[in-house]
Amino acid sequence: MKIRIGIIGLGRMGITHYSIINRHPNVEISSVAETSSMFRNIFSKYIKSAKTFDDYKKLMDIDKPDAILICTPPQFHFQVAKYAALKGIHVFAEKPFTLNYQHAKELAEVFEKNGLINMVGYVNRYNDVFAFTKSLINDNLIDKPIRFKSEMYSGTITKDDKGSGWRATHETGGGAVFEMASHAIDLVNFLIGKPDKVSGTAMDKVYSKNVEDIVSTTFKYNSEIIGLLNINWSDESYRKPTNKIEIFGKEGKILADQYSLKLFLKEANNKYNYRKGWNTIYITDIFKPVPFYVRGNEFTRQLFIFADTILNNNQSLVSCNFREASDTLDIIGQMFKDVKED
Amino acid sequence: MEKIDKIIFGDNQFFGINHMSQEKAQQLSEKFFELKEILKVYDYAFECGIEAVMLNSNDRAVDICNYFRKNQNKYEHINWYPSIPYPHKYANLVAEKGIISTINELLFKNNKASGVFNMIAKGGSAVLTKDIVRMMEMLIDLEMKIFRGLNVKVVFLQNIITDLLLGYDFEEIFVAYAEYVSKKYNAKPGLITQNLPLLHQKLTEWQIENVVLCASFNKIGYLMSPNIESYISTLEMNDSDKYEIMAMSTLASGAVNAREAYEFINRQKVQSVVFGASTKTHIKETVSLINI
Repeated sequence: MKIRIGIIGLGRMGITHYSIINRHPNVEISSVAETSSMFRNIFSKYIKSAKTFDDYKKLMDIDKPDAILICTPPQFHFQVAKYAALKGIHVFAEKPFTLNYQHAKELAEVFEKNGLINMVGYVNRYNDVFAFTKSLINDNLIDKPIRFKSEMYSGTITKDDKGSGWRATHETGGGAVFEMASHAIDLVNFLIGKPDKVSGTAMDKVYSKNVEDIVSTTFKYNSEIIGLLNINWSDESYRKPTNKIEIFGKEGKILADQYSLKLFLKEANNKYNYRKGWNTIYITDIFKPVPFYVRGNEFTRQLFIFADTILNNNQSLVSCNFREASDTLDIIGQMFKDVKED
Repeated sequence: MEKIDKIIFGDNQFFGINHMSQEKAQQLSEKFFELKEILKVYDYAFECGIEAVMLNSNDRAVDICNYFRKNQNKYEHINWYPSIPYPHKYANLVAEKGIISTINELLFKNNKASGVFNMIAKGGSAVLTKDIVRMMEMLIDLEMKIFRGLNVKVVFLQNIITDLLLGYDFEEIFVAYAEYVSKKYNAKPGLITQNLPLLHQKLTEWQIENVVLCASFNKIGYLMSPNIESYISTLEMNDSDKYEIMAMSTLASGAVNAREAYEFINRQKVQSVVFGASTKTHIKETVSLINI
């Protein structure tokens, strides 16, 4: 059996996701929707196997795919996903999913009610190192986390911007909070749990005109865990976007990024065969290969899991459904509020 | 047709690229801040008998190529294996400006080549983008300017592009790429991939031949999709007159020691190895271990 998938939006993520999911043996990409006529023309000229539409509603009405991948700029995610729910279509949405908590909760509810598969592209959850970090925490290697720091850096915005394009305003989903902090917050939700309180948030501009380039905040938990968040997308010292997380517990410490993990243990661990003191684990020690590679194992893994979830009708395969992704938007909302009040 | 070099000196070590550790990457980027430090290592490699260089078309490649062009009499026996494009340059531009503005900026604002003026006269990007093959040719020319005047043997397409297009089964553009590189640059077309078995199968199906395929090949199967077994069986049945195979990431970013790595590689049916190293001892050791 093959499932039919439609892709909404042929920007950078839409183009990449097309290539990856097209290689799944039980997926047929039946349609794409794109508002730019130039992109539609290229597609219909060269890619004959998928129908092209200028409107997402037409795609869902006429092509009736089993599932869609939402890869439009973020401000359109809500309306597209809502229409899909109405039509009984499963949805994978790119992060940050929606632009506010209310919309996110509403979508989570309607997809749960309609029994539709739903997933958000927080790709770090499928990264070999971060997935391994999760199992180290679950197995209590460092005991309960007490303090942590979640960071993300990149050299994305390194020149004064003219304030145009969807990345330039919050209303369209731009800014370092929606684009980058969302990843670092989701990683916190995934590894530690959702914070109960946000405080001391700071957002500053370096190059952007309307949106923040640097973000920091403090997360507090009723269980007395405290964590720091630090984001900078104007840092040219990073060749590519990098997530880092440092977690301290009573029995040790974890320092992880997408490629490697350093683990300090107070006592040796026999199950994992790690010694007392420092242990370094590289991605080459723990990776699992994927059937087709374009941009890193995690990108393939997340989309193949989405397709397999539909094929097996088993939502439990999904990490980061709409409900979990709405936690990130709740935190983002609290951070914006915290900054305003300050 | 003339065979590719058996040993090719790579460039990741110079540009702060390490797929296993960002800390190592940063240390290397500091070590090779000065161009003369890079040139020193190239001279070590040539002293060890290497006569071929693979170089990605990033900003630093401009200075490297300028040097070798100026000193061509000293280096006339060196073969060049450019890999294009430098993907992060495009990724950042696209992230900042979007795809259409990026194309406009690259092909129209920064490029004074005469062909481009003709294209603008004909209606600019609107005309151009209807013809994705022509657009690809212009992007190749843009990247290849860095290597003008050097003895280019193979032009490689970076894996992020190759594998993206492979996902689409984009036969037409693979055909066009191979033809354009052969005709315009009198070089062999090369494709870097992390999906060698699938690419090999597709190229065979599409009857695109005389292509050099460069892929990760290491004993732990790192960056080898779908798995190491299918890589080995692909090479077992490969006709190297049609597809010469070049192994990269043979040490899996340092996870495998050199001796073990090349014991494994020497048993495989590869025609060539590209490796990078930053000291004379490592270069010498690696050259002595490669026996393909």
